[in-house]
Amino acid sequence: MTAPGTPGSAALVRLVAGREVSTRIRDKTFLISSAVILLLVLGAVAFQVVIASGAGKVTVGVVGDRSALQPALQAEGKAVGADVTVVGLAGEAAARTALAAGDVDGALVVGSGGAPRLLVERKADPQLTATVQGAVGQLAIGRQLAQAGIDPLDVPQVGVTVVNPGTDPTGERTGIAIVGIIVLYTLLILMGQFVAQGVVEEKSTRVVELLLSTMRPWQLLAGKIIGLGLLGLAQIVAISVVGISGALLFDVVSLPGQLIGTVLTVVAWFVLGYAFYAAVFAAAASLVSRQEDLASVITPMTVLLVIGFFIALQSAGDPSGSLATVTSYIPGLSPLVMPVRMAAGAAAWWEVVLAVVLMLVAIALVVRLGGRIYAGALLRTSGKTKIREALRAERL
Amino acid sequence: MLEFDGLHKSFGDNHVLDGVGFTVAPGTMFGFCGSNGAGKTTTMRIAMGLVRPDAGAVRWQGHHLDQEIRRRIGYMPEERGLYPKMKVGEQVTYFARLHGLDAAAAARASEEWVSRLGLGERRGDPVEKLSLGNQQRVQLAAALVSRPEVLILDEPFSGLDPVGVDSLAEGLLDQVRQGVPVVFSSHQLDLVERLCDSVGILAGGSMVATGTVEELRRREAGRLLRVVVPDAAHGWAAGLPGVRVVSEQAGDTLLELAPGTDDQSVLAAALRTGRVRHFAWREPTLVELFREVVAAPGAPEAVAS
Repeated sequence: MTAPGTPGSAALVRLVAGREVSTRIRDKTFLISSAVILLLVLGAVAFQVVIASGAGKVTVGVVGDRSALQPALQAEGKAVGADVTVVGLAGEAAARTALAAGDVDGALVVGSGGAPRLLVERKADPQLTATVQGAVGQLAIGRQLAQAGIDPLDVPQVGVTVVNPGTDPTGERTGIAIVGIIVLYTLLILMGQFVAQGVVEEKSTRVVELLLSTMRPWQLLAGKIIGLGLLGLAQIVAISVVGISGALLFDVVSLPGQLIGTVLTVVAWFVLGYAFYAAVFAAAASLVSRQEDLASVITPMTVLLVIGFFIALQSAGDPSGSLATVTSYIPGLSPLVMPVRMAAGAAAWWEVVLAVVLMLVAIALVVRLGGRIYAGALLRTSGKTKIREALRAERL
Repeated sequence: MLEFDGLHKSFGDNHVLDGVGFTVAPGTMFGFCGSNGAGKTTTMRIAMGLVRPDAGAVRWQGHHLDQEIRRRIGYMPEERGLYPKMKVGEQVTYFARLHGLDAAAAARASEEWVSRLGLGERRGDPVEKLSLGNQQRVQLAAALVSRPEVLILDEPFSGLDPVGVDSLAEGLLDQVRQGVPVVFSSHQLDLVERLCDSVGILAGGSMVATGTVEELRRREAGRLLRVVVPDAAHGWAAGLPGVRVVSEQAGDTLLELAPGTDDQSVLAAALRTGRVRHFAWREPTLVELFREVVAAPGAPEAVAS
């Protein structure tokens, strides 16, 4: 007879956490939702890539003499921010073929008397039209001036001075923060649901009675929250790595350092938000005994998350507004709102510290109170337990 | 010794347990009987630390049961509890680990118990796919896998078919032979009578009878003697000193003897009437004993211990 050793608290918590991870990692809901989130992030990167590659690259085919047109088109393109490539085309038929194949964005037909014509596939890109119109016009003016015996004038170039160089990267950071918040929000909801379902599953199947004969309620709760938390953290880190690598690979962002900083901020706030919501969801779920009753107790928390999410989206446009400022301190809402304000550069360091401290205090309270409710309600397997009953119940 | 000592428990105004106490020796099986709601489950849950008693204690080898000792107890709750979506083998391994076995030992023990209980082929199936009887076996495997020092089983036989009952009974007897004290509750009194070394009957919050089935028979049911005398006239035994006629039908007589009455004088009286076809102490079944003590719960009386 082998005498089994006695696992300590750490070992028990690890066992429970290990079971949560190994069960959930094979769970269809988890796999599908992970794939969807990953696709969304990749989609956001791809969208940026398309926007970036589409903007400013114009290929113009020219039928006829292009010796004067080429420099004019390129100079004009530069003025409107387009990188113009000029290719020669043999005739109108060749131009139509090139358009259909997508080799050129537009084909300019000149010479052969009459006004020059611009052929396009479906509809003219304003940037393309402006470039071609400007180039043709400039050439015509030059020609007429020369005919009138006037030398072409040197048109003065307008110099551009950037007065607020910070504006642009902030916009980019805010965009990243928004993508981050969408992921954070989705994961908080998902992991919160997992915690809640897990608690009710153990209650409804009465397996909790067997578990509690070998461990204390807090060990079970801690194992569950830590296990699912590690899973959520791994997920958000994996998504971040994929997103950042994609963004760097396709050169989507201008300042990679800021991208990584913003993503790290989001990940850190995820950890705080998860700790808070996991404890709240677990305590709420422990009050009911059947999966069917779960919605009635976790809806208030879910609504809080949804409100936080919409305030976060709103505060991207107005990061210094009073709504964004106030909610970025409120525990529960701060994990969603503060990252956006931080990314927008609207939060001073002490504001961030204050929000984090408030959040930590809230987590400590919620874990304590939630743990008591959980321990008190866990073995009440008939119907719904009131919070007050759970708090008054004897603890094991 | 596994001792349940003076357990008291009230839920609000409802006094469920009022001084429940009994002991179970190592290597013996204790049958725990009582009507529905008598407090059997509460008693077992107190032992497992799921309910805190208002007074009293449960001890194993002289030590109060704590979390550490409870990990060496195999427990089967009344309401079965398993993770429905977890595979049979993994589930049993998990419970073995919670009871303190390391990963390798837990996997080995799980393998062994799952096949011993005839579930070898279902090892990789989720529990919810199994029949109720097989789920019960998984539950038992979860209780036995850590080689517990004590077994506490709440209604382990309920819901099992006769074959299942036999194989579970065999499994429990096997544990008893290895020196494990086994406590189980059951409404199947014939089973309790067949398997248990001692029996406890709980009624009104306290033990109204404890002891071996033999002791209960002798002390609780009085002394019933069945005498079959086909030739005797009706009322042949009415005048015998210290004898009460319980029933008499065509010479088939049931007599209750007062303490100290000599059964041999009854035999002599019977022989005087003619032929005696049957003369024996009639052993009441546990069911009869149960009805008797539960129906009229007088002053609680601990017979043995």
